[in-house]
Amino acid sequence: MGVFSKVLVANRGEIAVRIFRTLRELGIGAVAVYSEADRDALHVQKADEAYLIGPGPAAESYLVSARIVEAATLAGAEAIHPGYGFLAENARFARSVLEAGLVWIGPPPEAIELMGSKTEARTRMQAAGVPIIPGTTDPVGSAEEVVSLGNELGYPLLIKAAAGGGGKGMKVVRGPEEVASAFESAEREGQSYFANPAVYVERYLEDPRHVEVQVLADGQGNVIHLGERDCTIQRRHQKLVEETPSPAVDGLLRERIGAIAVDAARAVGYRSAGTIEGLLSPEGDYYFMEMNTRIQVEHTVTEEVTGLDLVREQVLVAAGEPLSLSQADVRFQGHAIECRINAEDVAAGFLPSPGVISAYREPGGPGVRVDSGVACGSEIPPLYDPMIAKLIVRGSDREHARQRMLRALHEFEIGGVKSLLGFHRALLSHPCFVAGETCNGLVESDELVRRAAELEPPAAPREPAVAGTARPRETTVEVDGRRFEVRVLVPEPPHAGLARRRRERARSGPSGAGLDAVVSPMQGTVLAVRVGNGDAVASGDVLCIVEAMKMENEVRAHRDGVVSGLAVSPGEAVTTGQVICEVGSGGDDTPG
Amino acid sequence: MAATEDSTAGKLEQLRRLREQALHEGSEKAVERQRARGKLLARERLEKLLDEGSFVELDRYVRHRTADFGMLENRPYGDAVVTGYGAIFGRKVFVFSQDFTVFGGSLSEVFADKICKVMDLALKYGCPVIGINDSGGARIQEGVVSLAGYAEIFWRNVQASGVIPQISLIMGPCAGGAVYSPAMTDFVFMVEETSYMFITGPDVVKTVTGEEVSFEALGGAATHAAKSGVAQFICPSEEACLEDARYLVSFLPQNNAEPPPFSEPNDAVGLEDPSLDSLVPDNPNRPYDIKDVICRVVDEGDFLEVHERFAENIVCGFARLGGHSVGIVGNQPRVLAGVLDIDSSVKAARFVRTCDAFNVPLVTFVDVPGFLPGTDQEWRGIIRHGAKLLYAYSEATVPKLAVITRKAYGGAYDVMSSKHIRADFNFAWPTAEVAVMGPEGAVNIVFRDELAEAADPETRRAELIEDYRERFANPYSAAERGYVDDVIEPRRTRPVLIDALETALPKRERRPPRKHGNIPL
Repeated sequence: MGVFSKVLVANRGEIAVRIFRTLRELGIGAVAVYSEADRDALHVQKADEAYLIGPGPAAESYLVSARIVEAATLAGAEAIHPGYGFLAENARFARSVLEAGLVWIGPPPEAIELMGSKTEARTRMQAAGVPIIPGTTDPVGSAEEVVSLGNELGYPLLIKAAAGGGGKGMKVVRGPEEVASAFESAEREGQSYFANPAVYVERYLEDPRHVEVQVLADGQGNVIHLGERDCTIQRRHQKLVEETPSPAVDGLLRERIGAIAVDAARAVGYRSAGTIEGLLSPEGDYYFMEMNTRIQVEHTVTEEVTGLDLVREQVLVAAGEPLSLSQADVRFQGHAIECRINAEDVAAGFLPSPGVISAYREPGGPGVRVDSGVACGSEIPPLYDPMIAKLIVRGSDREHARQRMLRALHEFEIGGVKSLLGFHRALLSHPCFVAGETCNGLVESDELVRRAAELEPPAAPREPAVAGTARPRETTVEVDGRRFEVRVLVPEPPHAGLARRRRERARSGPSGAGLDAVVSPMQGTVLAVRVGNGDAVASGDVLCIVEAMKMENEVRAHRDGVVSGLAVSPGEAVTTGQVICEVGSGGDDTPG
Repeated sequence: MAATEDSTAGKLEQLRRLREQALHEGSEKAVERQRARGKLLARERLEKLLDEGSFVELDRYVRHRTADFGMLENRPYGDAVVTGYGAIFGRKVFVFSQDFTVFGGSLSEVFADKICKVMDLALKYGCPVIGINDSGGARIQEGVVSLAGYAEIFWRNVQASGVIPQISLIMGPCAGGAVYSPAMTDFVFMVEETSYMFITGPDVVKTVTGEEVSFEALGGAATHAAKSGVAQFICPSEEACLEDARYLVSFLPQNNAEPPPFSEPNDAVGLEDPSLDSLVPDNPNRPYDIKDVICRVVDEGDFLEVHERFAENIVCGFARLGGHSVGIVGNQPRVLAGVLDIDSSVKAARFVRTCDAFNVPLVTFVDVPGFLPGTDQEWRGIIRHGAKLLYAYSEATVPKLAVITRKAYGGAYDVMSSKHIRADFNFAWPTAEVAVMGPEGAVNIVFRDELAEAADPETRRAELIEDYRERFANPYSAAERGYVDDVIEPRRTRPVLIDALETALPKRERRPPRKHGNIPL
């Protein structure tokens, strides 16, 4: 019997599966929640029991705290683990879990709240002696004030709108002469994008590294750090590759920033696993940015070099036990790298590429770990984060780990959706990454996108050939005793083109649907009506459901158009051929 | 040297002139009208139907010999039909294409002779025959000779039936007795909006019955595709129609003594589709689309549906499995719960016999709740029509495979390619329910007395239904007796079927000698 008998994981995908693994090791029953879109998801299959919490959109399922607490109560779970994302850093959710008499596997709600507010966190950290990027904690009133701050802090400066984000309302100023116009435009953008003209000023760091420190804290007042993770390689604030140790951090620096992180966690009375995110300047100055009050996606690299299970520590701490080790017991061994394998189309600006995974094989061998939430046939729904898997490797040193990652990326097979496999191969073999530099601007460069496309593994076999008269076929040949994997172009059978054109015709909608009226194909009872007058429908959309002979029959639109003259309602009996509604071609009869 | 009529060069010159003339016998006005209707000319159709440059014309100098009504003044070369042979994907086919720009495509004695000639040749050499119909009907000036011509064609249609594939493309009017030639061929294609078929036109209909009906509503493509079932395929344009006919031919053998062509599949033979494992809904009353199952099992997901809009409660069509052409029949739970009624029985019976005639193995997906009850069905003869499907399956000697996806109830279970009527390999998904009837019905009958006496009949009924469901609503009581050969994971359907198909392909079954069976027509 474990510390809990059952724990509900309020999440989906790989992190849910990841947490279940630890629960199982602890002898704790794993309870999943899922949305209608996730009925066939892997995390549902991997749980001991699973509860439906609502429709596909997260706002109606994974973000509805009442449903999740209700599911936990129903399942008889004693605790809830939020994973990352969704409700993980929602203090109100944490409180409602506690109020329901359940254990919250995470930090105290007060700590979440405090760290959730950027200005408050800054003030509190400053008071605790944690270094923050020099700048103002109060809004700046005028351009003159900025100039005098510049003299005090040194240039370059960053002027940013209080509510700003995503590059909006942020201006870099390299000297006093640029202040006036930058100040004005930051204010203006703050007003127009976020309806708040207040601006702050801070030192601007050139080409910093994004270095974060993992901390663990228990209810007995023990706080330890587990070293840093370097997440410098990002695209629009989305991390893509994480590694530990950072190429820019040595033992002394690690001790220094580790102490900073421990101080920061203590200052808010932290408990559970957390991460201090900070910026490391090329000169070795470390500044606190924010604290993530949850388990992070990239916690795995820390686990690989320390040999710890962070989720296990979280669960045990939540159950009131002390940390399993002290700072002196923490050992780092080797170098770990994580690549996020997202279903994204690099060539289309990293656009999510949802779809069904038609072929899937994870890499293996020494030093390779895959945390994933999919299997062959799984769907990456367009509704959620498009992550397919996290690929983690550990090697004796950075170069070893890098080579191992390239090998594992090569072994990974993903068909049916576009993935970042090619991108990571391009990135990890780039001289800039090899040298352990910040690679600033490389991720977005055309050079890398092109290289990624070249390294993208060939498309899945199930994809019908799009054009041309040859189909690629993979085959193994031996020439003079040497084995080659070759792609042979086999001419497609002559009828394939006709089949393709028929399919295209069918896709462009059934023809000859000359009549507007949709009639009931049978005698029965209307169970549900899915449309209303004036609704636009596409060919094949369900209009209503007619029950006949105890079977539900979907009556579908026979063409694209607008519904009118809806003549049935639920519960009504209909006969064969009775008009249900009309689907007019729209457009034509609306003048002007 | 000047080319005189007597010199060789002159004779060549004359040949060229005659040939040119034969190509352009349709008047300019008639050609223009044909084009204005969006219709291709007779020879253009053949060019698009056949492999490029493969068409060889026969009988281009044939002319009519009728003297009545001053007909001798107009004796166009080739008369109103173009005939010959050519290739589709390199395989020979014989063709005729009626020419509406000459005498309105009307059928004369020599017109019929030309068609009969290619039909005879097709039969002699064992090649499919494809006819393009675009004709105003009999050539009235020729009188009874024209009627004799039709009958000669009908007779040949029947002689060729089941020996060589016969395909009819309706690309214009086809009315009166003329409809019976296409009606006796294996497949009828119609082009939307430009083709129609009827025995008697709207005018006669109005005189006789008083009904007012348009050409399109009476005998247009949509009508015959959805209401009458006369047309197996309808196409939005002539080009699409000619392409689809080529595609259909790719599934068929040259004749009944040959196997259908094999085509190396792109999809691996062992390809499994995990999505099939969750395709059948948990609730037995919820529908799903049997075509989703079909397309996930067959090569490249390509399925050429026959009678797509007629009797949609059963799905028939051609596909390939591991490269072998197969005929697929599937009950469609999405329409009328997949029940068997008169139209669906007749549709599937015809398809099963077509496949059997041409050595195309049958793969049947079974999810059938039974036959459709009601006076309408009983009075119109569901007994004898349902018998056609039972007869067709029992009679078929091609390899027969079946997969029971869900319901297989009652007599309909027997009909749908059951082992008892000599199917070769039958499989069931774990979701299958092979039983005499659904749990509700069975309990009401078996426990009638007990239920009548029960203190709380509803609770007792629910218990009994649950018990029945557990014991009989599964594939295992059938599997216990070997009525299904195996219960398989749905995802493995493709590899399992391909393996079974390749095992059964060498089958040769002899039937007792007889003139012909007596299918209950």
